Amino acid sequence: MRRAADPLLALALVGAALASLLTGSVALTPLEVGTALVGGGEDTARVVVLSLRLPRLGLALLVGASLALAGAALQSLLANPLADPFLLGISGGGAAAATLAVVALPAVLLGLVPLAGMGGAALATGLVWWLARGPLGASSTRLILAGVAVNAAASAVILLVLAFASGSRLPGALAVTMGSLAGASAARAWWLLPYTLGAAAVLLHHGRDLGLLGTGEESAAGLGVDVPAVRRRVFLAAAALCGGAVAFAGVIGFVGLVTPHLCRLVWGQAPRRLLVRSAVLGAALTAAGDTLARRLVPGAELPVGVITALLGVPFFVALLRRSA
Amino acid sequence: MARVLALAPDVTELVFALGAGAAVPAVPRSADFPPEVARLPRFDEQDPEAILARRPDLVVATTAGTDPRLVERLRELGVEVATIDVTTFERLGEACRLLGALLGRPESGEALASGLARRVRAATERAAARPTQRALYVVWWEPLIVAAPGTFHHDLLRLAGLANLAPEGAGRYPRTSTELLLDPRLEVVVAPDEPPLRAMFQSLLGRAEGARLARGAVEVIWLPADPASRPGPRLVDALEALVEARGGGR
Repeated sequence: MRRAADPLLALALVGAALASLLTGSVALTPLEVGTALVGGGEDTARVVVLSLRLPRLGLALLVGASLALAGAALQSLLANPLADPFLLGISGGGAAAATLAVVALPAVLLGLVPLAGMGGAALATGLVWWLARGPLGASSTRLILAGVAVNAAASAVILLVLAFASGSRLPGALAVTMGSLAGASAARAWWLLPYTLGAAAVLLHHGRDLGLLGTGEESAAGLGVDVPAVRRRVFLAAAALCGGAVAFAGVIGFVGLVTPHLCRLVWGQAPRRLLVRSAVLGAALTAAGDTLARRLVPGAELPVGVITALLGVPFFVALLRRSA
Repeated sequence: MARVLALAPDVTELVFALGAGAAVPAVPRSADFPPEVARLPRFDEQDPEAILARRPDLVVATTAGTDPRLVERLRELGVEVATIDVTTFERLGEACRLLGALLGRPESGEALASGLARRVRAATERAAARPTQRALYVVWWEPLIVAAPGTFHHDLLRLAGLANLAPEGAGRYPRTSTELLLDPRLEVVVAPDEPPLRAMFQSLLGRAEGARLARGAVEVIWLPADPASRPGPRLVDALEALVEARGGGR
């Protein structure tokens, strides 16, 4: 199964990307989309494909990969199958700040919403880390408990902001809380790319260390792993990935939690094998989810987080039953 | 101006009232006035792809109803977007003039604005013949959502000779306590006449918060929902209806 799984994964990614580029409210044939992608064809098709669909696909791939990679790393780091950026309050902090920015900033400054989202996520990360400090450093249990507390506070802030949001700002604020890639633009995708790659590189670099940590902290330390440093770097890199995703796409649930489990069921526990594949599957799932979110109900865009959950849970359950 | 796309039903009405209906290739899903819009194709006013597909030379959005992220997105894509912000009757006149100028019909804009202003003046004078009463404009009964200063509904009350009792500083349409309906100063409640609002009102009458409404201590004026809920040119119809309901006559 493992051997066949890699090409299938690649196929899923390509399929999701193609579906995303080929669907939209403007009916375009595959030939028109292809022509537009190389800069030809008529004006409307070119603008739709190059300025709307392609940046949106790019952002979906980056956000999905970020969430799944962060989830996989955190689950390994904290040895907790429920760990994900949401449980740790990082998404909540980012979402609270982004929601506040959407509602409170003057219209000309709305471009700063992603920056606010990243700031909020960073603040939440710092707060969780600070709250989790104990005599022996930040333990897994303390990190999770601190995350739950920060998440609850962030939820309260979001609800407060929504209660005061004016009519035209409410859709934007709800889009943050339910996840949406509608704000995608080429500039945003290009901005997020190096940031995501940098944080992802840190996690991939520590893949082996995370594997050793899975055998227990003492044995990992005995094998030369600087446990506190690895814990700090992995946590911060995962938080950075998650902050970027929330800042540009709002809260997209499920991808960070379940994608690593799906991958584990196929490729096993070793983080080195798991991290890259989680990122690819997360990217494919998010792109597919966004395509469905845009097209499932004609004339209305559904929250992408709902779709990713509806899409992934049956797969997850099926794989779980099979492996049992 | 070759092709104009309005992103809200009130702006659609405004474009038609300016005589530029022929420049409108499609209307938003919720547009239902003037009757000519019935034969026009619909588009999803939230979807930038659907907007671009209509190849508009000008897109008209509203501050109150259009997501500002969509406006930003369209401008990034090189689409000319005008934003109309009708929070008072005076602003309605400004919107007529602005849109008239943008559509290459400045005389129509001026004529529409001054015609509406004349009707507003006449209605206000009729309303002034009656003593000022304290009122609320109820947008929703449960939870109680009322129009506060800074909204065209507040201006509607003001011009009809009603002093708004809505709390200030809690946003334009604050969600507030139903206790406000028991305020002894409250004399008039204005609400849009829609089936769900009527039903909520009926259930409220049987409860403690509805006591003053039930015994008739507060006059309830139901306005035709369509013009009263849209800051378009027919808002003046709503004002005239309100003044008439208060006994100001036509």
